[in-house]
Amino acid sequence: MAKPIIFAIPKGRILDEALPLLAEAGIIPDADFHNKDSRALRFGTNNPDIDIIRVRAFDVATFVAHGAAQLGIVGSDVLEEYSYSEIYAPVDLDIGHCRLSVAEPADLAASDDISEWSHVRIATKYPNFTRRHFEAKGVQAECVKLNGAMEIAPALGLTRRIVDLVSSGGTLKANNLVEVDILCEITSRLIVNRVAFKTQPEIRPLVERFREIVGGSDAA
Amino acid sequence: MSKIPPGLLPEGLRDRLPPEAEAAARLLRSIMDSVASYGYERVSPPLAEFEEGLVGQLKSDGAQDLLRIIDPVSRRTLALRPDITAQVGRIAATRMAGRTRPLRLAYGGEVLKLRATQLRPERQLLQAGAELVGSDSVAAASEILSMAVDALEAAGVTDITIDLTLPDLVPTLAAGPFPLDPGLVDSVRAELDEKDAGAIAALGADAYLPLVHAAGPLDMAMERMRAIDAGGALQSRLDGIAGIADALQGRATITLDPTERHGFEYQSWLGFSLFGADMAGELGRGGSYTICHADGAEEVAMGFSLYLDPLIDAGLGWKEKKRLFVPLGTESDLADRLRSEGWRTVAALTDADTADGLDCTHQLINGEPEPL
Repeated sequence: MAKPIIFAIPKGRILDEALPLLAEAGIIPDADFHNKDSRALRFGTNNPDIDIIRVRAFDVATFVAHGAAQLGIVGSDVLEEYSYSEIYAPVDLDIGHCRLSVAEPADLAASDDISEWSHVRIATKYPNFTRRHFEAKGVQAECVKLNGAMEIAPALGLTRRIVDLVSSGGTLKANNLVEVDILCEITSRLIVNRVAFKTQPEIRPLVERFREIVGGSDAA
Repeated sequence: MSKIPPGLLPEGLRDRLPPEAEAAARLLRSIMDSVASYGYERVSPPLAEFEEGLVGQLKSDGAQDLLRIIDPVSRRTLALRPDITAQVGRIAATRMAGRTRPLRLAYGGEVLKLRATQLRPERQLLQAGAELVGSDSVAAASEILSMAVDALEAAGVTDITIDLTLPDLVPTLAAGPFPLDPGLVDSVRAELDEKDAGAIAALGADAYLPLVHAAGPLDMAMERMRAIDAGGALQSRLDGIAGIADALQGRATITLDPTERHGFEYQSWLGFSLFGADMAGELGRGGSYTICHADGAEEVAMGFSLYLDPLIDAGLGWKEKKRLFVPLGTESDLADRLRSEGWRTVAALTDADTADGLDCTHQLINGEPEPL
């Protein structure tokens, strides 16, 4: 094959859970991938037809949507935020479980009634999804976009509420915040560029392979 | 408001400079010639028209985003066309309503989208296509697709892939053989869009799973689809697809995706997307649809549209430059002769002009063109 398939993998929390799945699918990154000192961004694998790139989770979706990468693994939070039309998410990999939640300081939560909101100010990494979610409930959400450390926003008076990923709830607790509403449950998905799915015949068997690994009622 | 920096254009709009502007004209011409050779006659609707005329011309379920202005003359809302197909539908339903069917019309021109997306940052696009009004049969589809492949080949696109889709299949199945709880239709469609087999099973729409698994190369897809028992609605569509594939034999790679509805807002039984080698996005699309007449009558039609901008950006439509520098004092007869031989002559107006400075590829030496 002239050009290898590019498989985009997120840095961070999903990576450790994704590697065993990739190995099961017969994709093992070169040793350099695990070298913390390596400055490389693109890595070969045991399969000469597949290369891996390691980028930020939000960028996985961007690379795949534009067709710069053909396959990727990304949380459904990122897919909800962008709702790119050029991405298929054919397989729920059942890893990276967490939820996207609204949190606020414990003392505010004690007297707060969500059903009475008409306008909220929210610090979040997911302004599009948050706005859409609240709009559907008839609430106008004014979002302050942050790229991390949302939990500090209420204590410093940036916004009283945040929308962020919650897995154990430990970070919220440490910042004296409580979860008051869940926007959605999150898992990681295998994603595929729409054009690549249709025009590159070698993509489909890979998707089927992941579907088999995850198993369950959806096996073809 | 701060002053607009010189040369800045609004988002999504741009100038095409040489040689791109010429490549665009050449590509448009080759596509128009290609469809004209099938007997399609060109129409040229206006850039803007009354919003009412643009909306509701084609039977669809989705609202369209339009760039609107209030016309100071008529004080009515005008809309800039985001798509020429609806205008051709209007022409067919009004001024050309009396012409014998099938009516074969072609068009090419600029359209303007309200919003650019990150994936397609242009708001102004060059659209070209052909519409066959009065039939949406397999024969009509075969003609339209053969013509689309011809037009793309003429433009220089190689390794063409046609992805066939059945835009009204899911609603048809939901209303009949594979009933869906009305409250679930939207969720199931959203998951079908993502091809998320797991989520479809979780919604209890297991009957639709084989449709997701069937998407792929035509032979495999047809085999899997034939195995699904969903009565006549599916059968007739698959027979249609088989007929179209026969007509296109070997001219393009054909895939079938029975649940795709990506951007097929107004297509009925058949939709298709066109792809080419080494082009990241879709090059064009089309399918069958219904034109609404003023008296409530409906008329079937079939057509395709190509967007030329990705082709221009991929470097298609370029031609070798033959720019010949003609120095001061050259006989005008000689220059005429060279032009008639296909040279583009660039005449010096003063002694200061040079072949190099005027971007010429050739110069005159002893009355004969020589490469620089």
